[in-house]
Amino acid sequence: MAASTLLFVASILLSSFALSCYASGTFSALQKSILLTSSPKSGQVLKAGEANITVTWSFNKTYPAGTDSAYKTVKVKLCYAPISQKDRGWRKTKDELKKDRTCQHKIVKRDYKPETDSVTWTVERDIPTATYFVRAYVYNAEEKEVAYGQSTNDGKKTNLFEVEAITGRHVSLDIASVCFSVFSIVSLAGFFYLEKRKGAASQQK
Amino acid sequence: MENSQTESNRENNGGFSSPVDSEHKATKLRIQSVAAPHMRAFHLSWISFFACFVSTFAAPPLIPLIRDNLDLTSTDIGNAGVAAVSGAVFARIVMGTLCDLFGPRVASAALMLLTTPAVYCSALANSPASFLLVRFFTGFSLSTFVSTQYWMSSMFSAPVVGTANGVAAGWGNLGGGATQLIMPYVFTLIHHIGATKFTAWRIAFFVPAVFQTLSAYSVFFLGQDLPDGDFAKLQKSGDKHKDKFSQVFYQAITNYRGWILALTYGYCFGVELTVDNIIAQYFYDRFHVNLHTAGIIAASFGLANLFSRPLGGYVSDVMATRYGMRGRLWTLFLVQILGGCLCVLLGRLGSLSTSVTVMLVFSVFVQASCGLTYGVVPFVSRRSLGVISGLIGGGGNVGAVLTQVVFFRGSRFKTETGITLMGVTIICCTLPMMFIYFPQWGGLFWGPSSKGITEENYYMSEWSKEEQEQGFHKASLKFANNSKGERGKRVASAPTPLEGTPESYGHV
Repeated sequence: MAASTLLFVASILLSSFALSCYASGTFSALQKSILLTSSPKSGQVLKAGEANITVTWSFNKTYPAGTDSAYKTVKVKLCYAPISQKDRGWRKTKDELKKDRTCQHKIVKRDYKPETDSVTWTVERDIPTATYFVRAYVYNAEEKEVAYGQSTNDGKKTNLFEVEAITGRHVSLDIASVCFSVFSIVSLAGFFYLEKRKGAASQQK
Repeated sequence: MENSQTESNRENNGGFSSPVDSEHKATKLRIQSVAAPHMRAFHLSWISFFACFVSTFAAPPLIPLIRDNLDLTSTDIGNAGVAAVSGAVFARIVMGTLCDLFGPRVASAALMLLTTPAVYCSALANSPASFLLVRFFTGFSLSTFVSTQYWMSSMFSAPVVGTANGVAAGWGNLGGGATQLIMPYVFTLIHHIGATKFTAWRIAFFVPAVFQTLSAYSVFFLGQDLPDGDFAKLQKSGDKHKDKFSQVFYQAITNYRGWILALTYGYCFGVELTVDNIIAQYFYDRFHVNLHTAGIIAASFGLANLFSRPLGGYVSDVMATRYGMRGRLWTLFLVQILGGCLCVLLGRLGSLSTSVTVMLVFSVFVQASCGLTYGVVPFVSRRSLGVISGLIGGGGNVGAVLTQVVFFRGSRFKTETGITLMGVTIICCTLPMMFIYFPQWGGLFWGPSSKGITEENYYMSEWSKEEQEQGFHKASLKFANNSKGERGKRVASAPTPLEGTPESYGHV
């Protein structure tokens, strides 16, 4: 009787510890058990809407077997390097994953496979100009982050690449802006002329 | 279209559809009417001012997109926000001068058409520097505030001038709140039609730009400067004297009351502009609401202008009927100080629901103070009404620039500390109102001068003997007579004649 109670209490305690590991939701609690490489070379500049990135990731076999038993899905994301986070609070890195804004652009979402997986992704047209690296988050069945891997080192200093965004400007838009502006000024000149005429006309009355 | 009732109204009102005084200024504000010239001027005023507010604050709700497109830092965004309100400091004074010299119709239409290129060219911005420049030049359009107040002060008589000024300015200020809802909606629409995000926000700026252009055209073609006609016509026919800029300007800057009111206005309207710029971020960062919710809270602060600024103007007029100018001054003094106390409180609250509640009450007090201020302004000067209005309006923007630079830039103060300190500054900068004194009506702590100085003495002092001999001061005389109501009910004065100037003043 005492033994089974002890076992019961122990299992409650152990599972609550296990739960707290998963439920803490911080980056520092994640296992870095994914090996990830991305195709851009260090310092390469990619054009948004045109260039491709090939990302390859796999489970790091140096970790004990069974570590990845809870892994269900993988999300690969494009993340801001520290230089692009400076003086930009909306891209801030925070340990609490719910508040972390480092990785804002999703590349792909896949089911987890222990073998090597890869994706070739065209940099989307709304990716802003900045310096980036690639990170993959692994989620369990409860959609909670449990592991990650990234293309740069822990200090996020190596192997960073840049994206050059589209300007969003078009020649037709530029011409429209200039035409409307000129039209405003010209109609103002027209108004002054009309006012002068009205004034002169009433003087003649 | 006119039925017999309207016809007989027009006969009673000397050809106008609203009842008028001896200067032909309307003595009633009938919001449901668009009859020329008074009510039409009213609607043109507030709609064009609304358009300028929409243009000036069109960028903030789209900042999350623009900052990615133009690679802006927090400092760049803060600087552009300061630039947006600093252009109008100088522009408001210029606008005041232009109104005095050329009339509000031409002045406001001209300014709106000169600033729409900046709004159209927002679509061309490609760097932090160009973004700052377009926000700076677009901000000049906020000087249409001065033409609005000048126009209302020219069209509406003393008993309703506070209300007319307050409603026109309040409904114009609404644009600052409405744009936080309009621009994201327009952007989403354009984005869904097929444009990429970085192009869609650029196209979206054409909406406020075209609205502003159309407003300018409406003002020019449908508006009229004065109840009796336009400046140009009246000046040529000799009914209105074409005044000298140097004299108008000199009379304005030597009137100390204008400077004190500029300071106090800096700490009601300036505070309103500052809050427009920082409040969404404050709720987002401190209480962790999402960006959408923060935007709605920010919009509601601006939307309170629908009734709070008009309320200030209306209360000013009501207090004046009983207590005269002293009533106007006391109400402004108390309401603004209470607003300052609420601001101090806002920064110290730690819960979301109490913060939102206090913010809404604070918005009513701050915006009512703005309305109360412009219940006093029309009486400070008659000759230099435009420049005085411009000086005080410009003071509002100076307050916004100073407050943002000292309390809300960089990381010297946490935002909640900045808000509390802003409240303390409001209280301190309202105290100088104690020194405002009208010899014919009194001030906060003193009654009217025992030397028996009248309204005529006060307004005639703006004209030299030579100018009076040439009869340039006639309009000021009429105004002086019509402003006798600012003595309040203490004095049982004879009813002011509704038609023509009284016998004793018509001749020089």
